[in-house]
Amino acid sequence: MATLKEKRTCGQRCEDFGRFVWNSENGTLMGRTPEKWVYISLYYVAFYVVMTGLFSLSIWVLMYTLSPYAPDYQDRLKSPGVMAWPDTYGEEILEIIYNTSDKASWKKMSNCLHDFLKPYNDTKQLECNHHNCTKGKYFIQKTFSAPDHTKWACPFTQSMLGPCSGLEDPTFGYNCTMPCVIIKMNRIIDFLPSNQTDHPPYVNCTMLEGHENVAKIEYFPENGIMDLSYFPYYGRLAQPTYVNPLVAVRFSLIGKKKAKIQCRVVSDKISYQNFYDPYEGKVIFDIQALK
Amino acid sequence: EELEMRYNTSITKGLTTTFAHQVLERDGANELKPPKGTPEYVKFARQLAGGLQCLMWVAAVICFIAFGIELARGNFASFDDLYLAITLIAVVVVTGCFGYYQEFKSTNIIASFKNLVPQQALVIRDGQKNQINANQLVVGDLVEIKGGDRVPADIRIITAQGCKVDNSSLTGESEPQTRSPECTHENPLETRNIAFFSTTCLEGAVSTGMIINTGDRTIIGRIASLASGVGNEKTPIAIEIEHFVDIIAGLAIFFGFTFFVVAMFIGYAFLEAMIFFMAIVVAYVPEGLLATVTVCLSLTAKRLASKNCVVKNLEAVETLGSTSVICSDKTGTLTQNRMTVAHLWFDNQIHAADTTEDQSGQSFDQSSETWRSLARIAGLCNRAIFKPDQEGIPIPKRIVVGDASETALLKFTELTIGNIMDYRNRFKKVVEVPFNSTNKFQLSIHELEDPLDLRYLLVMKGAPERILERCSTILIKGQELPLDEQWKEAFQTAYMDLGGLGERVLGFCHLYLNEKEFPRGYRFESDDMNFPTSGLCFAGLISMIDPPRATVPDAVMKCRTAGIRVVMVTGDHPITAKAIAANVGIISEGSETVEDIATRKRIPVEQVNKRDARACVINGGQLKDMTSDELDEALRNHPEMVFARTSPQQKLIIVESCQRLGSIVAVTGDGVNDSPALKKADIGIAMGIAGSDAAKNAADMILLDDNFASIVTGVEQGRLIFDNLKKSIAYTLTKNIPELTPYLIYITVSVPLPLGCITILFIELATDIFPSVSLAYEKAESDIMHLKPRNPRRDRLVNEALAVYSYFQIGAIQSFAGFTDYFTTMAQEGWYPLLCVGLRSQWEDVHLQDLQDSYGQEWTYSQRLYQEYTCYTVFFVSIEICQIADVLIRKTRRLSAFQQGFFRNRVLVTAIVFQLCLGNLLCYCPGMPNIFNFMPIRVQWWFVPLPYGILIFVYDEIRKLGVRRYPGSWWDQELYY
Repeated sequence: MATLKEKRTCGQRCEDFGRFVWNSENGTLMGRTPEKWVYISLYYVAFYVVMTGLFSLSIWVLMYTLSPYAPDYQDRLKSPGVMAWPDTYGEEILEIIYNTSDKASWKKMSNCLHDFLKPYNDTKQLECNHHNCTKGKYFIQKTFSAPDHTKWACPFTQSMLGPCSGLEDPTFGYNCTMPCVIIKMNRIIDFLPSNQTDHPPYVNCTMLEGHENVAKIEYFPENGIMDLSYFPYYGRLAQPTYVNPLVAVRFSLIGKKKAKIQCRVVSDKISYQNFYDPYEGKVIFDIQALK
Repeated sequence: EELEMRYNTSITKGLTTTFAHQVLERDGANELKPPKGTPEYVKFARQLAGGLQCLMWVAAVICFIAFGIELARGNFASFDDLYLAITLIAVVVVTGCFGYYQEFKSTNIIASFKNLVPQQALVIRDGQKNQINANQLVVGDLVEIKGGDRVPADIRIITAQGCKVDNSSLTGESEPQTRSPECTHENPLETRNIAFFSTTCLEGAVSTGMIINTGDRTIIGRIASLASGVGNEKTPIAIEIEHFVDIIAGLAIFFGFTFFVVAMFIGYAFLEAMIFFMAIVVAYVPEGLLATVTVCLSLTAKRLASKNCVVKNLEAVETLGSTSVICSDKTGTLTQNRMTVAHLWFDNQIHAADTTEDQSGQSFDQSSETWRSLARIAGLCNRAIFKPDQEGIPIPKRIVVGDASETALLKFTELTIGNIMDYRNRFKKVVEVPFNSTNKFQLSIHELEDPLDLRYLLVMKGAPERILERCSTILIKGQELPLDEQWKEAFQTAYMDLGGLGERVLGFCHLYLNEKEFPRGYRFESDDMNFPTSGLCFAGLISMIDPPRATVPDAVMKCRTAGIRVVMVTGDHPITAKAIAANVGIISEGSETVEDIATRKRIPVEQVNKRDARACVINGGQLKDMTSDELDEALRNHPEMVFARTSPQQKLIIVESCQRLGSIVAVTGDGVNDSPALKKADIGIAMGIAGSDAAKNAADMILLDDNFASIVTGVEQGRLIFDNLKKSIAYTLTKNIPELTPYLIYITVSVPLPLGCITILFIELATDIFPSVSLAYEKAESDIMHLKPRNPRRDRLVNEALAVYSYFQIGAIQSFAGFTDYFTTMAQEGWYPLLCVGLRSQWEDVHLQDLQDSYGQEWTYSQRLYQEYTCYTVFFVSIEICQIADVLIRKTRRLSAFQQGFFRNRVLVTAIVFQLCLGNLLCYCPGMPNIFNFMPIRVQWWFVPLPYGILIFVYDEIRKLGVRRYPGSWWDQELYY
C-alpha cells in the first residue's frame, strides 16, 4: 500500500489543500468550477424551495383539517391535573414553608395568591361572565348563544372563597398559623367530572405525615365542592372568559406546625393513582409555618 | 567427537535422562513459540477505543457530569442523563464485544489448522531408544529419522544412508536434497550434514543425528520470528473506514461545538449547552455502522469459507475486491501438484494422455504392440507402490510411496493396464539398479510372465539421450528396426517438442536376455552389472507434467476481463513455467516474449523492440542483476509476466515492485520463506493443504483447496461487498440527518424536543441494523467482473456525492417527513405549530402543572412529557417509514429498482418486515412508555410520512433514470455516488 500510505509533510498537505481550494489548472474552486458551483447551488435552492413548499402545503392541509374549537384527540388528557397555590417549590415537591415572624416570607405567599386570584376579581368576573348559571347542574350548551358566536361561562368570584378570598384578610392567614391554600383543577374540553349529577366533585385534603400538627381543615366554598355548572369546558374560542372553579383550604397548624398534605379532587371520573403523574387528580405538598 | 564434547553427550548412547531434563529446563521445550500475539485485553481495549467509540465515551462522560451536577443541585428528576450514559457505554461495550468476538472467531479458525497431534521422535538416551514427544527434545539428543519422518529439530547428521530431505518450505528448492555426515559448506543452510526442523525426510534408511538447535533457535524458528517482525499493512477497507470515521467524528464535533456556541449565545446555561453537545454527538454518530460493516464483512467471509477461502482478517475480503495484481505460485495453485503422464512417443508418433483430474478426457490408441512393451517397461521399471488399503479411492487420488515421476508412471500404468501390483508379481523381479546421478538410468531384470519362456527381461528407463545412447534398435509397430540416423532424428524432434512443452521426458527401452548366456538362477550383480547395458531396444518416450487445474484457465480469463494481472512467480524451470503459463492463459494466445520475436524475425534479442513483446519470462538469475527501476520498467512494459527460478526473497522484491506501481497485490504462497512476501502483500493468500503454519500465520486468507479459481471467487465477492457496503453506508448515513435536525430545531426554535436520544439509539442499533445488513445480500447490479479494479485513491467507499446526496437530499426529505408527522401529532393533540415555537422553557418546566395548549386546556408536566414521548415515537415512525423507502432505493445505484426486482433479495424483504414488526413492538408493547419512552401512537400517524417515503422513491428513480440516460453529464457527476 505504498501508494496510499506515503507520509506527507505538513507543507505538502497544505499545498494539496491549497490546490483543493483553488486549482488554477482546471479553474476549480473547492473541487468545482465557479460555473458548476452556480448550477449545484441553483439545484439545491430549487430542491429546498420545492421541499419547503411541500412541507408548508402539508402543514396547511393539517391546519385546514383541525377544528378551531376542540382538538382531534385528548389522548394525554384522560383525567385532569390538580395544582395548589402558592406554588412554591422545594427541591422536589411543592413546599409551602413560611415564617410568620418574617414579613417578607409570608408576604411572598400572600402576593402569590393575590396574583393568582386577579382573574377572579369580583367586578371583573361579573362584568365578563354575567350569565346566570343554574347551580348543581352541568351547563351543557349545544349552540353558540353568547355574543360574538361564543358560549356562556359561569362566573367564579374571589369572594366565593370566603375567609380565604384575600378580601377580608389580605395575608391569607400567612401571618399566623392558619394558612390558606388554593386548589385548582385543570380544565379539559368536554370533560364531565362525574357521571352522577347529584355528586359534584369536591376537594378532600388528608394528612400523609404530621396528623397531630393539623387541628382543623376548612374548605371554601362549603365542603370544597366544585359546582357542576362550571363543566364542561368548551375551549378557548367558545368560552374566552371561562375561569376554573377554585377551592380554598385553610389549615390550622398546631404543635410542630408541619405536615405533608394530599389534596384530592374526589369524583368517580377523576383518577388519582397514576404512579407516573403525581399531579393527576391530586396534589401533594408540605406545609410548614416557622416562627 | 568435538560435538560430543560440546554438548556433553555420546554418539552411541546419547544423553543421560537426568542431564536431558536439566537442558530442557534451561532451553525450554522444542517448539516454535507462536508469534507474539497481542494480549487479549489489549485486543479488547482496541475494540473500545476506535474513533466513534471515543466520541461516545465523551458523550457518556458528559452525561455523567450532567447527572452529577443535577444530583448535587438536588434535582432528582433527571435520571434520563444517567440512563443515557449507561446506554451509551453499553452500546460501546456491546459493539466492542461483538468486534472482539469476530476477531476471536477468525483467530480460532487458524488455531484449528495447527497440528494438534504431538509429533513423536525416536531418541536415544542412556543408550536406549525411546519414543518421546518431539517437544521434549533437547540440544545434544541423539535422534533417529527415516524416510517419511518430519525432522524434529535442527540436526547434525552423524550416520546416513541415502537420506534425502525436502527443504522446499525453507529454501524453496523443489528437488529433494541429499543429507550425509560430511560437512560440505560453511553456510549451515548449504551444507549437507544438517537437516532442518520441520522439513521432511523423504527417503533413506534410518539415519542418526545429533540435535544442535531446538525451538525458536532453529533456522525455521528464526525465519518465523523474522516474519512476525514485518509490520502488518493496513487493508484498503480499514483505511477507507478510518478515513470516513475521521470525517464523521470531525463533523460531529464541529456540529456539536457550533451548536454549543449557538446555545451559549442564545442564553442557555453551560450545562444545558453541554447536554446539547452530547445529544448532537449521539444523533450524528452512526452508532450501528461499525457493527453493520463487521456483519457485512463476516457474512461475505462466511460465504467465502463455503467456497474454500477462509478469511483470517475480515477486512481482507474487500482487499481482494480491489486487487489489481495477483502474484501466483505455479505448483499446486495453478497446477494439480501431481506429476501426470501427458504425452507418449512411440511408433514415431506423439500421443496425448488424459491429464484431467477426474479422467474425463480422451484416451489415445492403445492397440499397438509397441505400446504394450512401453507400458510393460513403465510398469516394471518402477519402484513406486501404492500404500495399502486404498481400493475404494480413485486411482489419481491414491497415496503413493515413491518420487513424483515414478508415481505418475505408476498411476498411469494402473489406469491403462490395470492392477499393476499383480502385474509386477507375475514378472518376478530378479535384480534392480536404482537411479543415480552418474549413470542417469534405472533398470531392473525380471522373469517373464510365461513360465515356459525362460528368458529374462531387462527393462530400463532414464534420461532420453542416455537411453538412446544405449540402444541399437527401435521398436516400431511391434517390430525391432535398426536405429539409424533417420530414427534418431525423429527421436530428437519428438524429444525437443515434448521438452518445449515444459514436460519432463523419460526414455524407455528393454532387452530380452539370451537364455543360454543367462540361464535361470544366474546371479545378477547390481553393483558391477554383469549383464549387457547397451545394444538395447528403444521403446519410446513418456513425458510428464504437473498439469494445470481444470478450473484455472477459466479463472485466469475471468481475472483478465476483470482487469487483474496474473503474474506467475515460481521456482520452476522457465520453460515449464512458460508452458504452464501459456496453457492456463497467463500468457495469452498470440503473445510473444522478446526471445520469441527474435527467433521469429531471426534477429538478435537486442534488436527487438521490447514494447512489442506482451509477454516476458524472467528467471531468478536475471532478476538478481536487475535494479528495482528495471524491474518496474519490465512490469510496466509487459502485461504478461512469468518469473521462473525465483527465490522467495525475490518474490518479496516482485511484490514491492508491483506496489510501487500502485497496484493492490495479492500473493499466494505456501513455504515458511514465503511469509515475508505474504505479509508484505496487500493480501497474502496461504495454501491450506500445502501451506506451512508460518505461511498460514502470515497470510490474510487461506485457500483450503489450494485452487487459484477460489481466488477469483474471492475477488468477485470482494467487489460485491464493496458495492454493497457503499449501499449499506449510504442507508445508514441518511438517517443521521433526521436524527440531527430535531436537536437543531429544538435548540434554535425552542420547540418541544421532537426526538430523544434513547429513541435515536433504538433506530441506530435496533430497527435499522437488519435492513442495512440485508443490503449485503444484494445481487450485483452489473457484471462486476467486467470492470477494472477500483483505484483506491479515487474510488472511495464514501465519496462526496454519496454523503451529500444522503445528507442533504434524502436525509432532508426524511427530516421534513419527521417534522410533518411531529407537527401533526402536536396539533391534533392541541398544540398548534406556531404555539410550539418558543414553547420549550415552559414545556420543560417541571413545576408548571397547568400549561395551556392552543385550545385553552391545561396540562401537567407529566402529561406534556408523555406527549413529548408521543412525538419521539411519531418521529421514530416517520424515520422508519422513510428508511423503508431508503432501503428500497439503496438496492441499486444506477439501475431502476424495478429492473433489480423487489423480491429477489429475500433477506431485505424479511428485514423490512422485521423492521416494521420491531417498530410496532416498541410502540405498542405495554410498559414501553416508561422504559424506553415509546408511546402507543394512533395508527394514522404511521401514514403521515408515507407520501414523503413515496417521494423519496420517485425522486431516486428520477435520479437513476438521469444517471442511466445521460452518463457523464452534469447530473451523473453530481448525483451518482
